[in-house]
Amino acid sequence: MSNPQVELHIRDLGVIVLELDAAKAPKTVANFVDYVKKGQYDGTVFHRVIPGFMVQGGGFEPGMQQKPIGEQIENEANNGLKNDKYTVAMARTSAPHSASAQFFINAANNDFLNHTAPTAQGWGYAVFGKVVSGTDVVDRIERTKTGRRGFHDDVPVDDVVVDKAVVIAE
Amino acid sequence: MNTPAQDFPELLAPPAWRMIDIISDLHLQPGQPATVEAWRGYLQTTPADAIFILGDLFEVWVGDDAADAPGFEAQCAQWLRETCAQRAVYFMHGNRDFLLGERFAAQAGFTLLQDPTVLVFMDERWLLSHGDALCLDDTEYQQMRRQVRSAQWQQAVLAQPLEQRRTLARSARAQSEARQQAPGMVWADVDSAAAHEWLVRAGAATLVHGHTHRPAEHDLGDGLRRVVLSDWDADARPPRAQVLCLTAAGMKRVDLR
Repeated sequence: MSNPQVELHIRDLGVIVLELDAAKAPKTVANFVDYVKKGQYDGTVFHRVIPGFMVQGGGFEPGMQQKPIGEQIENEANNGLKNDKYTVAMARTSAPHSASAQFFINAANNDFLNHTAPTAQGWGYAVFGKVVSGTDVVDRIERTKTGRRGFHDDVPVDDVVVDKAVVIAE
Repeated sequence: MNTPAQDFPELLAPPAWRMIDIISDLHLQPGQPATVEAWRGYLQTTPADAIFILGDLFEVWVGDDAADAPGFEAQCAQWLRETCAQRAVYFMHGNRDFLLGERFAAQAGFTLLQDPTVLVFMDERWLLSHGDALCLDDTEYQQMRRQVRSAQWQQAVLAQPLEQRRTLARSARAQSEARQQAPGMVWADVDSAAAHEWLVRAGAATLVHGHTHRPAEHDLGDGLRRVVLSDWDADARPPRAQVLCLTAAGMKRVDLR
């Protein structure tokens, strides 16, 4: 099984290329690729940016309009992949198997997000790929000015928009 | 103010009561039949003289009229009614089922409790609460709570057709879940100083609450403590279904099989 690649075209900032690890995170990769192909991420924003931590997107359009999402997927954080800088992982609520469409790119080696045990506290966040091109674009997103918007903290003041997400290799 | 103001309502346990169960955060819904079944089995087999349900019994509650037609809510009412024939049952609102009213309470046979309420049992005073009112750090939540607990807001919502309320509830839940997808987010816990103040005000040594799904005992100093209930989820591995049981011997957590 070869590793799919996905381009995230970030308006005004450049292109991020993700290489996805289909062998280590088959369900997560299949779920993500499916969303990309359906255009789920086109027009979404990176709505939560915390410098030194991570940049998160995949869930909202500009104005914090929530996008409808699909089923929750199984957490594959126990696949050995670490939340190292520039890896991509699935966001979720505090329920271990609640990931659907939102994802984040680690801006540091976030060891505390790694799987330690199959418990609510220890499940961790499932890494399913990494940035192979465009780390400078990730850095630019990480440095964008943020503020509070309604219920949400750490929202970029100027929208960071994913113009389109495309599968370029499968 | 040195003496307990006693502005919290009190419930005096009748002398005949020997065992009291306290549960919360079952989040019952049709889509999670294992937990519903665990709860049904518990209602049928508990030897307790009284059951105190401290909120979020239901995953969502859109209005008492949801129990008018045959369905999930009506079924739960029936199981509760059967239990209420054997023992006293008390229900306190949580942040999910705060629209549950007197009509359903009568249908189910239980008594509504204010949040908080002081339970006087075996010469001890226990302060019972769902717990959300004490998570003071979450200022957005507290602002929203003030709104949704207001009679005006509730009347406006309950005036809408049942199906519309169900749609609104689904949308609100989806938004809340989307917001909660926040890796690294630190959840607000019950404010210790506020809990301490409530206990002094109530003349009670122990606060029992749910809501945070973080079962533990916390020493608040001055002989005061905060006891947190577990949530229920029969689909989790390991499954969770726990009761806090009060008797003359003290307090004990009982994990249901």
